[in-house]
Amino acid sequence: MKSVRLIAVVLLIAAGLAAAAAPLIAPAGYEQQFRATPDARPSAHHPLGTDELGRDRFARLLYGMRISLIMAPLAALLTTGLAALLGGIAGCFGGWTERCCMFLADLVLAVPWLFLLITVRAALPLNVSPEASAAVTFLLLGLLGWAASSRVICAGTKSLMQSEFVWTARAAGFSGFKLVRLHLLPNLRGTLLAQFWISVPVFIIAEANLGALGLGVSEPLPSLGSLLREMQSFATLRPEPWRFFPIVVLILVVTSFQVLLKKQEVRA
Amino acid sequence: MRRAFLTGVMRLVAIMLVASFLGAVLLRVAPGFSSDQQELATGLSSKSIQAIRQERLADSNIPRFYAHYLGALVRGDLGRSLSLNQPVKELLRERLPVTLRSLGFALLAGWLLGLALAIGATTLAPRLLSPVSEGLSGVFISTPAAALALLFVLLQLPPAAAAALLVFPKVYRYSRNLLDRSYEMPHVLTAHAKGAGRWRILFWHVAPSAWPQLIALLGVSVSIAIGVLLPIEVICDVPGVGQLAWHAAQSRDLPLLVNLTVIVTFLTVCATTLSDTAYRGFIRSAT
Repeated sequence: MKSVRLIAVVLLIAAGLAAAAAPLIAPAGYEQQFRATPDARPSAHHPLGTDELGRDRFARLLYGMRISLIMAPLAALLTTGLAALLGGIAGCFGGWTERCCMFLADLVLAVPWLFLLITVRAALPLNVSPEASAAVTFLLLGLLGWAASSRVICAGTKSLMQSEFVWTARAAGFSGFKLVRLHLLPNLRGTLLAQFWISVPVFIIAEANLGALGLGVSEPLPSLGSLLREMQSFATLRPEPWRFFPIVVLILVVTSFQVLLKKQEVRA
Repeated sequence: MRRAFLTGVMRLVAIMLVASFLGAVLLRVAPGFSSDQQELATGLSSKSIQAIRQERLADSNIPRFYAHYLGALVRGDLGRSLSLNQPVKELLRERLPVTLRSLGFALLAGWLLGLALAIGATTLAPRLLSPVSEGLSGVFISTPAAALALLFVLLQLPPAAAAALLVFPKVYRYSRNLLDRSYEMPHVLTAHAKGAGRWRILFWHVAPSAWPQLIALLGVSVSIAIGVLLPIEVICDVPGVGQLAWHAAQSRDLPLLVNLTVIVTFLTVCATTLSDTAYRGFIRSAT
């Protein structure tokens, strides 16, 4: 198991470095067109060939990975923050506050996530820039993904509020922000970190699904999801197995994140 | 049991009302709501265009639209799709059975595979089956539904099987954890020490403590399956509710999208309410 985790770490570091160094490694920019060679096979100039518009596939994969690997953790940070806020408030105050917060979480959880995402994403303006579409996509993921985490954090906060050291602290006059900062947050750190790491691969997958449906990051900016959309010309895929490379990379990156999550974290 | 069921029904009604209202608000405030693609038809007279605009304006007041909608819903009228120009009820009658069939198959196959692998990995041949099933669940939990759907189209495999493969990892992981914990319980260790056979231990000692919690997972797996069916139906060109929702979202078809949201939410919350009630009922009868 240790060796599998080591491989996962190596893969993630390699993916991160490749994405960070995209301008240095990539043979061309992600939107640069080689009009003389559209749909080219892999070669020394284009390691994964070119797409039907003559853009280098390898460059697009590197830049796509960059978008997904930067934006997914940011969205996960936002979602963990929201979950901590709502779950923490629900757990601290209990009663009607808890019921209202958990009803909100139930509401978000009741609608299958992708339904909710396509509905909200489709309601947004169509004439946004590619960069804005990337920001909006991951912002939506961050804003809609908090519900399950907030339940876990609410349960954790409730259990902490009933613990002896919190009772002692309250008896000693600790309340409000001081109690949260000194006693609740340090003890919830593990749960919050677990929720953050669980959210990252979930958001990469969600963006991939949205991108494949044409509701993710818009052209010409690539992401792991929008690269899937480019693969939908089924007839040409069979004789060109190198086109599957983005799927392989996507699965490897997400699997590496999953492997790094401890069993207890997955349980949570 | 009755109280839990009634609470669940009240929760269902409240969630449905809020979800459909939010859907209506979202689509109303979306850019482009006030214009209609029908206005682009070249053969329309100015009177017809004016009539289309008036019809659209009547829907622009959210509370009014929503009140009309709820009233019609009580009468069984789900409105008319703006983009497909067909009654929503008719569209749902055509599409819902397709999705329900896929959903049924995905749940059945996903659960059978997940449970079989979990039992195999904990009871039958842990050394052999554990790495295989962990690897398989790891790969499928990391695969986007759209990517798997793409592969299934290429390999000409049934799309519902792709959904089953995406449901199975959750069932496997949850039931594996549950079985692992159950096998560590004192009465199971005692039965093992007394020489009880592996099947006897599984069916008489492990299963009774594990299966009420598995029932609770059933509701969640319905939600997972509906979620993964959407991209699968779009990419594999399956004429189900997922594809319809996709079409509605793209063409900003308010009546259709609100109805689909309500129906999908209804299905999901019904499933979770039933499984939660059953779980609580079992727990109460056991204690």
